[in-house]
Amino acid sequence: MYVELHARSAFSFLEGASVPEELIAAGVELQMPAMALLDRNGVYGAPRFHLSAKKNEIKAHIGAEISVQRPKSKDQSPTNICSVPVLVKNRQGYQNLSRLITLMKMRVPKHAKPGECVVTSEELAAHATGLICLTGGFDGPIAGAINRRVAESAEEAQRSVEWLTDLFGKKNVYAELQRHFDREEEARNHLVIEIARRNRLPLLATNGVCHAIPARREVSDVFTCIRNHVRLETAGRLLAQNSETYLKSGAMMRKLFADLPEAIANTSELSSRLKFTLGDLGYEFPKYPVPPGETMTSFLRKRTEEGARLRYTGVNDAPAYEKARPQIERELKLIEKLKLEGYFLIVWDIVQFCRKEGILIQGRGSAANSAVCYSLGITAVDPIGMELLFERFLSEERGEWPDIDLDLPSGDRRERAIQYVYTRYGKLGAAMTANVITYRGRSAAREVGKVLDFGEETLSRLAGLVHTWEWKDPNDSSERQFRNAGLDLHNPRIRKFFELYQMVQDLPRHLGQHSGGMVICKGQLDSIVPLEPAAMPGRVVVQWDKEDCADLGLIKVDLLGLGMMAVLEDSIKLIRDSYGEEVDLAHLPQNDPAVYEALQKADTIGMFQVESRAQMSCLPRLRPMNFYDIVVQVAIIRPGPIVGNMVHPYLKRRQGREPVTYAHPLLEPVLRRTLGVPLFQEQLLRIAMLCANFSGGEAEELRRAFGFKRSEARMKAIEVKLRQGLLKNGITGKTQDEIVLAISSFALYGFPESHAASFALIAYASAYLKCNYLAAFTAAILNNQPMGFYQPFTLIKDAQRHGLKVLPIDITCSDWLCTIEEETGRRGDGEKGRRGEAGTREGEAETLGRVDAAQGEHRVPASPHLPLSLFPRLSVTESSLALRLGLKYVKGLSKQSGLAIVRERAVRDFLSIDDLSNRVPELRKDELRKLAAVGALNFIQASTGSKTKVSPKTNRRDALWQVERVTRAPGKLYEALLEKDGNSPLQQMTLTERVDADFRGTGLTIGKHPVAYHRGELNRLKALKAIDIRKLRDGTFVRVAGWVIVRQRPGTAKGFMFLSLEDETGVSNIIVTPQLFDQYRLELVGHPFLLIEGALQNQDNVVSVKASHVKPLSLEPQKGTKTRNILFKFP
Amino acid sequence: MFVCIHAPKIPADLSLREFAYSFSPMVEEVRCGTVVIDVEGCELLFGSSYQLANEVAGRAKGSRIHGGLETTVSVAIAANPDAAIHAATRLKGITFVSSGEELTCLGEFPVDHLDYALVNVEKKVADEILETLKLWGIRTFADFAPLPVTGVSERLGQEGIRLQQLAAGKTERQLRIKQPAPVFANSIELEHALSELEPLSFIFARLLHQLCAALNAYALATNEVWVAMQLDDQTTHERRLSLPYPMRDHKVFLKLLLLDTEMHPPQAAVRAISISCEPVKPRVLQNGLFVPLAPAPDKLELTLARLAKLVGEQNIGSPALLDTHRPDAFSMKRFALTNKSDFRKRRKKENRQSAIGNRQCLGFRMFRPPLRAIVQADQGWPTQISAWSKQRSVYGKVVNLAGPWRTTGNWWRDDRWARDEWDVTLESGNKTSAQQSLYRIYRELNTKVWFVEGNYD
Repeated sequence: MYVELHARSAFSFLEGASVPEELIAAGVELQMPAMALLDRNGVYGAPRFHLSAKKNEIKAHIGAEISVQRPKSKDQSPTNICSVPVLVKNRQGYQNLSRLITLMKMRVPKHAKPGECVVTSEELAAHATGLICLTGGFDGPIAGAINRRVAESAEEAQRSVEWLTDLFGKKNVYAELQRHFDREEEARNHLVIEIARRNRLPLLATNGVCHAIPARREVSDVFTCIRNHVRLETAGRLLAQNSETYLKSGAMMRKLFADLPEAIANTSELSSRLKFTLGDLGYEFPKYPVPPGETMTSFLRKRTEEGARLRYTGVNDAPAYEKARPQIERELKLIEKLKLEGYFLIVWDIVQFCRKEGILIQGRGSAANSAVCYSLGITAVDPIGMELLFERFLSEERGEWPDIDLDLPSGDRRERAIQYVYTRYGKLGAAMTANVITYRGRSAAREVGKVLDFGEETLSRLAGLVHTWEWKDPNDSSERQFRNAGLDLHNPRIRKFFELYQMVQDLPRHLGQHSGGMVICKGQLDSIVPLEPAAMPGRVVVQWDKEDCADLGLIKVDLLGLGMMAVLEDSIKLIRDSYGEEVDLAHLPQNDPAVYEALQKADTIGMFQVESRAQMSCLPRLRPMNFYDIVVQVAIIRPGPIVGNMVHPYLKRRQGREPVTYAHPLLEPVLRRTLGVPLFQEQLLRIAMLCANFSGGEAEELRRAFGFKRSEARMKAIEVKLRQGLLKNGITGKTQDEIVLAISSFALYGFPESHAASFALIAYASAYLKCNYLAAFTAAILNNQPMGFYQPFTLIKDAQRHGLKVLPIDITCSDWLCTIEEETGRRGDGEKGRRGEAGTREGEAETLGRVDAAQGEHRVPASPHLPLSLFPRLSVTESSLALRLGLKYVKGLSKQSGLAIVRERAVRDFLSIDDLSNRVPELRKDELRKLAAVGALNFIQASTGSKTKVSPKTNRRDALWQVERVTRAPGKLYEALLEKDGNSPLQQMTLTERVDADFRGTGLTIGKHPVAYHRGELNRLKALKAIDIRKLRDGTFVRVAGWVIVRQRPGTAKGFMFLSLEDETGVSNIIVTPQLFDQYRLELVGHPFLLIEGALQNQDNVVSVKASHVKPLSLEPQKGTKTRNILFKFP
Repeated sequence: MFVCIHAPKIPADLSLREFAYSFSPMVEEVRCGTVVIDVEGCELLFGSSYQLANEVAGRAKGSRIHGGLETTVSVAIAANPDAAIHAATRLKGITFVSSGEELTCLGEFPVDHLDYALVNVEKKVADEILETLKLWGIRTFADFAPLPVTGVSERLGQEGIRLQQLAAGKTERQLRIKQPAPVFANSIELEHALSELEPLSFIFARLLHQLCAALNAYALATNEVWVAMQLDDQTTHERRLSLPYPMRDHKVFLKLLLLDTEMHPPQAAVRAISISCEPVKPRVLQNGLFVPLAPAPDKLELTLARLAKLVGEQNIGSPALLDTHRPDAFSMKRFALTNKSDFRKRRKKENRQSAIGNRQCLGFRMFRPPLRAIVQADQGWPTQISAWSKQRSVYGKVVNLAGPWRTTGNWWRDDRWARDEWDVTLESGNKTSAQQSLYRIYRELNTKVWFVEGNYD
């Protein structure tokens, strides 16, 4: 019986060419009883190898090839470093191996050069217990000894073997023999046999496997080229000599080692000595340090009790504490039974830290089903009030750890929370989960193309073939794609490229870090999984990805960055500072009419989760009227309901166009809230529980079996069980089929209700802030870009349409971030406030919705096109506030310079551009130019009143004229010749030049929408405004034009494309059929401005144009205007 | 006054500068297709400047036989050369720029078209200035010219001033007149097509003699000679003679060319011949007093050419091993004499290598080409071999073997290979006088054919 004990997977990055599952599959095919995986300096692939082996009922041995610096040598050259293959004998061995790898990795940076990442002989000796060592293949210690000094190779090899036996003990060293039909290797084998016999070491046959099947040798060669930065044509002897490093059967290996049968027999013997598998990891979640006299159980109970009393006090119609008590008790009992108190307390501890630090934090995901989580303040959704199903979160039967996701404001605040975890549990006690970056898409095409020596032009074309659109046309075969790109798949090189490109798909490329998953194991995580430094300073990652950690039972906490959380937190601060009001997100007024009015009108740009094009087209139909409607709204535009055809039935029933029916009376209590249509995962679990007598855990198991499609057999078995259960309850025939179909189609994409509720809370909060504190919300969202669906320009135009005054970037007022000013004075400073008016001097009627406060109580949109009913009015408080754009929006201005400006200005005002340049030496010439070009320097003179030497008629060109002077020192000799005043001979910028400069310099404009400048021309083309088409009847043939702000081609839309065209009055929604997309692909994908013709669809106040013709527009200025030949450039 | 001629579509074989010389010797070639002429004092020959411009435009349209360019040119006359250049390159036909009225003509030109090289401004500086001008809203020469000089100087420096003067058409400079570059090319058109080598050799000799005389006159040599022969069948037969070091001996060139022509004869009779070369500095070399004399490089080159003629070009040179696992893969490199220091370095390297690789190994005698063999095998293991050719034969029973040693490669190309090698001991003869020899045999895995590659000493 032969066991392969030296195999590398593709997790020996750029060395192995098969994923662990392929190796196991090949092993199963060859009827191998066990196999060992020894990846280079890591156990990256071990979990997948272990799980795959477990599924296929073969034994998975774990090990690694460790780079070791040979002893008694000061030579640091790579030739002095050998690769020692070690196999794990027992758990202690695994822990030693894991610590050894951690030791090696943690002392060098992430991208260490080959040879830097090594362990010393002493370190290896200190961690040798529980490990079995092989003498290695071509890069092993014996091969290294022979290569170094040929003349003394026998002695050197002998010394190497003695070194290994000293380290590991004689019984734990095997003389490894490999036979790949190579002369040199065979010569080495002779020496190994001789030394083994002399030292009485057992011989061990291995095949040094690098790939599962011979055909994968090509990938191996490609990886060799990528690793060595060479082409296949020039790689020469770096490439493999032949394809023999594949997994060979016992019969083949016996034939190869016919002269050494003991080498084959020893593989079984050694395999039987290797008792350790990853199932025996010994992971325990850390204990939470509790005060003396407390146990974790009692401490958790007390904290839950305290929280529950606070939460369930009858506020907001929540059930009273007594009503919630049984559920909390039930949950606590299960938590205690599963010994998860530490986990809940650790999460609670993180939440407490964030609260103390003023960092907004909210749990989401299935944790929101738990009343304990709600009581501990981890989540914000009341599961009892919302009748959420606890089993979706935790169940005894499932045997899996719970998963709590915590949303934090993205950026520095999230980093603080992460660093707190590191500080609390130690560098070796907590780490981020990894994210295995695999070969995919363009990068794979480029790397493979380079190896095949394609020119840059061909490479670009090949990379361009990889579609970035979510939707994949089923007719879009590879042949067709290649043909369209002018590449012939019959050409052998192109065909080879295509084969290799497909072969490398999904193979690991390198290790990244997961966006938020953290594994915690106080002080001993390095004995569970090797750790390594992340590219980001201060971060440590484990060698396994999120799924692997979950599969091996490592509990993780997801600390996820959510841009909207940062917006909410920033908004609250801005409201406190500028409005003088305190907003508590936990106690926002329920059922704010302004919020529901905005939602019903789909006026949701910038709002969390409901701002997408699909959401906006659904909102007027669903017409949310209470919080639960928002939960439904968040969940309904998801692949699950869309693929499962649940959206239209639900909307029809909601609009009263279809009766509410239930497939079976048993379903009524489950589906009543969603009008008989299943929308949430919890409903499916409940259906299984009610109609098929499943327990909570079984129901969750059912969801997972269908959801991940891991095993056909498992799915079939559970379906049989489901049908039997349904039958027992008298559900047969068509009804039974319907229920089974609903569960099977929904499990994969369905959205948990608890998750939707958590998101809906944030969505409501964002909508509330936008509707009631527009200035603060807009400033916050602009300060946290990039995020969401829309560009800053669209967000600003939307805010302006709602009446918000937006002030330009001004070096005398703007901070680094966007701020709020009182309209009559900057932050209460009356004198400086007048500078805001100076900002409009340059023909800057720069705010579309700007109206004198004296006009009345409410601000109204200035545009005659905008009816009052369309956009809500601002409150009295808010009408006196304006948004001041921050210096952050000046493209090319470094944060350091921006902050330096603000710092110096705080000392005293800038007297002139000269003064600015002198006092802020961080400002480079190009930065000054950029500030001048966007008009940020216009107000310097105005700020100093009559003291200025320069004409008060400062404009952008004046500033640019002066900037060039201050940045070029003339020297003393020419001082007398210099001009005495700063009068600029340059002409002021025209309107269109200003718009152009705004877009170039900031990516946005606060003046008129660029399309507005061309309205005359568009009128001549009979293009309607976005606002006008809303009044037209369904079916009217219309023509609209505008700037494309969003392009989408979702995977669930069967090839349809959705465009959003913005003009000065709003956004028009365009639907493009797949046929039309093919016809106008270039125009639709590449042009910023489009003119679209088509039939208007106006159903339930959802207005869109079904395009029938597309024309790109180049918006050149109209004849007769003083704009000169400027073509707008937009980002 | 200055006249600028701009001919963007001038035929490749015609020279605008030569054309300009027919009007005045004071010619500056601005760039390919643009020249400027100082026509001061040409009035007696051509009349007024305007008449001269008409003459230039008219003659340019004429056929090449009459000294024309067979194309339409733009002509501009101005008081300074740069204004003339700008006008001619931007405006078609004949443009007359009056002195002091430059901006009237040039004013609408975009500043992007300022020919900054004319006033010695580097591209990087010019780009920066143009970027500044763009920010200032300066788009044309007319926008730029009236800016205050002190202001421009303070902001854009002296380069800015020069560009401003250029835009205003106020630059003052002399023409940069260059001597025509020597041409190292000769050609001849034959009245009757030649198909024999001997008469051709006389033509070659004459052309090469002229070429080497020209090289001699400029104290130059060449290491590459191009020969192009127009053939009777309207095709061109082109050859390139590469020399190991620069030479200018027409006799050597002739011999080499004749040998090359014998090896690569033209497919039809020759109607015209042109010979050209790339001039380089000649090699200056002094041999050491005690260094043994190597063959003279020119003689060596001739010998190699004669050998190449005998054995074929691909079969002469020094073999160089290729970096591949493919057994016996090598390429032929051009044979060249190494100088002393190279030789020493190589010796040193070889010595070091031999010290490292001090292995006891057998000498191997390779059969070229390998002998095709008939091999009897038992379960893939060779047992009996017989192979023969005119020179030798190999046969016998395999009494001992090692292998297979497998190499495969070039899987991404059409010439992929895969083979198994064996080292075998063959026993031949009868029992009383049995002989044993050690051979290397191999089997092409793609074709399943066996070969004997050679024997070990």
